[in-house]
Amino acid sequence: MTTEAEDQQREFVERWRDPAYGCFSSGHKFCRNVCPVMQVTQNENHSPTAFHANIVAMEQGALTVADVAEDYVHCTQCGACELRCPNTLMAGDFYRARTRTVDVVKAMRALAVDSGIEQPNWKRWVEATVDRKNEPVLDVPVAQENVANWADGLGLGVGGETVLFVDCEAAFYRTTLPRAVARILQKGGVDFGLMREQWCCGGPAAEMGYVARSREFAVHNVADWRGIGASRIITLDPHDYITFTEDYPKYFGVDYEFEIVHITELVAELIRDGKLSLMVPIERVATYHDPCRLNKRKGIHKSPREILRAIPGLDFRDVDHVTQWSYCSGAGGGLSIERPEITAAISQQRLDRAAALDVDLLVSACVWSERPLAAAGETRDIEVRDLMELVAESAGLEVTAVTT
Amino acid sequence: MTTMAISDALYDELVGILGEDGVLTGKPARWNRTRTPAPFPVHRWKEYVPDVVVLPRTTEQVAEIVRLANRTGTPVVPRAAGTGLTDGATPLRGGILLDVKRMNEIREIDLVDRTVTVQPGINMLKLNEVLQPHGVMFPDNPASYPCSMVGGRIGTSGWSLIGARYGHTRDLVCSMEVVLPTGDVIRVGEGGGRKLRKASTGYTIKPLFFGHEGTLGVVTEATLELVPRPQAEFAAFFGYRDYDTAWRSTGALAKSGFATLAGVVLFDEWKLAYLRRDDEAYIEQPDWLKSVVAVAMYGNKAEVVPAAREIMRIGRESGGSYLGDEISQGDWAARHDRYAIPLHGRLRTGEVAPMSWHCEDAALNYSVLPRVREEWHAIADHYIRRYGIFDDWGMFAYTNGAYKPWGDYLVEIDIGIWEQKLDDEMWEAWLNCKREITEVTLRYGGSISACHGASRAGDVEYVPQELGGAFDVMKKIKRALDPNNVMNPGKYLLDQAYED
Amino acid sequence: MFGFRLSAQKPPDPRRITDDVVMRFDHIYEVDPDKMAIFGQQDIPAWDTHRIVDSRWDHLAWMHQHFADTVLGMSDLGLNEDGSEPEQ
Repeated sequence: MTTEAEDQQREFVERWRDPAYGCFSSGHKFCRNVCPVMQVTQNENHSPTAFHANIVAMEQGALTVADVAEDYVHCTQCGACELRCPNTLMAGDFYRARTRTVDVVKAMRALAVDSGIEQPNWKRWVEATVDRKNEPVLDVPVAQENVANWADGLGLGVGGETVLFVDCEAAFYRTTLPRAVARILQKGGVDFGLMREQWCCGGPAAEMGYVARSREFAVHNVADWRGIGASRIITLDPHDYITFTEDYPKYFGVDYEFEIVHITELVAELIRDGKLSLMVPIERVATYHDPCRLNKRKGIHKSPREILRAIPGLDFRDVDHVTQWSYCSGAGGGLSIERPEITAAISQQRLDRAAALDVDLLVSACVWSERPLAAAGETRDIEVRDLMELVAESAGLEVTAVTT
Repeated sequence: MTTMAISDALYDELVGILGEDGVLTGKPARWNRTRTPAPFPVHRWKEYVPDVVVLPRTTEQVAEIVRLANRTGTPVVPRAAGTGLTDGATPLRGGILLDVKRMNEIREIDLVDRTVTVQPGINMLKLNEVLQPHGVMFPDNPASYPCSMVGGRIGTSGWSLIGARYGHTRDLVCSMEVVLPTGDVIRVGEGGGRKLRKASTGYTIKPLFFGHEGTLGVVTEATLELVPRPQAEFAAFFGYRDYDTAWRSTGALAKSGFATLAGVVLFDEWKLAYLRRDDEAYIEQPDWLKSVVAVAMYGNKAEVVPAAREIMRIGRESGGSYLGDEISQGDWAARHDRYAIPLHGRLRTGEVAPMSWHCEDAALNYSVLPRVREEWHAIADHYIRRYGIFDDWGMFAYTNGAYKPWGDYLVEIDIGIWEQKLDDEMWEAWLNCKREITEVTLRYGGSISACHGASRAGDVEYVPQELGGAFDVMKKIKRALDPNNVMNPGKYLLDQAYED
Repeated sequence: MFGFRLSAQKPPDPRRITDDVVMRFDHIYEVDPDKMAIFGQQDIPAWDTHRIVDSRWDHLAWMHQHFADTVLGMSDLGLNEDGSEPEQ
């Protein structure tokens, strides 16, 4: 290693050594059985405890970032491990110090990138995102000039107090979702507009270790929000919700004055307040997939269930949100880009659990989860849909993909 | 990138058995499969690193690995969850670390003869999630319930929180498949039965394969007991003004004779002071509260309701004040996964320091609990004052016997150790502290361990003294079954079996 | 209001409960920050504190349900809150 790389590693160890001991010294390992990656690889290199223990070993001079960088690819940043950890669950609030495995994984990935150890698919992904200002989601032409094509014919304006931020996967691939959301908001009487120029939120770049790149996206988006006088941002993707409520505040500090709202919370309120009526029966047998970034990382699990119970005709077979701490689609944290076979295996396991409930529909509220879950659902005759698509349908609204 | 710690020839043979995916030679793989819940000791981590990690999926693969080990004289150390508190899964001589986590299949759920047959790498909580819709449960419930695994429970002869009601690990295995140290595969059960609970044919061999810490082979499949899922749970926490009253009350409750009684736990005043540090149930408890007794019951509602009413009467008449439903239910639910949190640790100045948790356990009779308690705390206090990196987290005594909870107790003193400050001097001090505690245990007719095992330094030196002539038998068995000393060599002083 | 606002995430100032314990949010205890000189405290926003506390209670309820169909309290036994027999 170069001297500079050694210094970076030393700083990293200094920053994370005490939290690492917080894990090492307890040795609980309760994380292991909720970790989606561990559940399919059963390789302890990928366990959250290993991610902390490696830092203790680095402090002893036994391991280097080069030894461990590849292991840290094996994480969806779902947050199950850090929530299930007794250091968080039993005492994190008391000591104002909780287990932060997601931050550790992001920091180690950043250290790897800074040390010149890059994962080939992530490198390509981030380079393409920088080039196109949006993520190169597969099978579709992604370019900045197409970012609002999903809204064709909906009559949406630009700007205003409330902005709908449409995630890359939704904007370019699953356009049924943003169209359903736009129609729901229109029907519910919510005034909103789009950004002048929406770029990727920057979250994926940060998750893969490209922090400086992530900031460039954030700076652009926040400038755009300010430029159009936005004060409230509606997200339809839980990943964006995390980025806007955790990464952006770190980037911008107290000047970050926006209200960030996740669509499920807003729609549950519209239904509760009688502003949105769900009248059209949906005669399906369904279960709900708790998106990790809503349930585990944000504690949002009531509003989607409230919405599902308001849909007439739906036979809703729920699995409680605590059981679902160990569920995941495998799509997060860049795993699906660098290790698609593990993502697929995690989604297969999720669909096995759905199949055991004899359902024909799995409802998610995370657009990134829906592609691998849908692929796994095909062999089991279980359809995968987004909660908002279902809401729009039950509200009598047209749910179609954009045709360009 | 990393140079392998094993020869190319050994690597090729292992890959031949397991495929490339099942053989790990990298440093992180090896370093992360040796440590156990602390203290390890962390400053000597590098001495315990295996040379290669294997991830078998089948019994035949395990048998082939063990045969290869015999042929090449390579140590084999089996490891399941690595959550044990006696370092059974920590290699002392490098070699092959045999990680059974990929052996996690449920092979059969037999609701007629009431057994479930599993591979050793399955965790009990996950198993019970699958069993729950069938109305049955595998009731092995250690404090590591959400993470430990069936294979490790057998290897350490685990202890269950609800063992008074349902039995401990050794009471809950009908039969199991074992790969012996020579690579032969046998099934041990009651006689030759696979799903029998009692037989009288031949020697009773099965108990030998509980608690051997991987020195006598590897369990590769187990047929386990299923019990009806409890209709009702009842937990009551009583408070006392002094330890002696609480101790007498514990005795009265444990002797109540109810079949649904799952456990009685006695917390002493050090444990209460410790809980008041950060446990929301205890922070604002009144000053007079010096000791707590917890009782838990499980079973059919028709049994538990009248029995629980009697337990309430006995607890109150023997001097206990009921602490209320909220603390009773909340605290009991937290005991299913009660592992210590490093920030419980306090320096003598009161400052929080991240400490690892060492629970020094013993099996002791009811009659000696008050005297042992005083002597153990005095020992701990001496080391805390002198070295400044230790902290007394209090003691508990927990009814120990399966189905017969009245006569003896699992007794623990929990000691926090500020592991970041460990060096050879501090480590030696800690071992001396353990040794003094162990000597007290033996002086009062107890056993070094009720639940963790006794193969850690500070304990293991006393095993020949505790077992006497039985230790000689242990050595003869070890040598007979493992002629080449390949299975977890060095553990339990069993190298002595080969001295002559 | 259910949206996230950074300005709403700063926890209130603590009030003292015992020599070692303070409270910022009702019913949520915290260590006296003066005791945390060795192991650094983190910037934990209000939503995260509430997430942890809510998750803890959800988890404990889940554990009860995992082990038995029902959990019996004093009222189920026909006893008073302190475990005594009701007056006849």
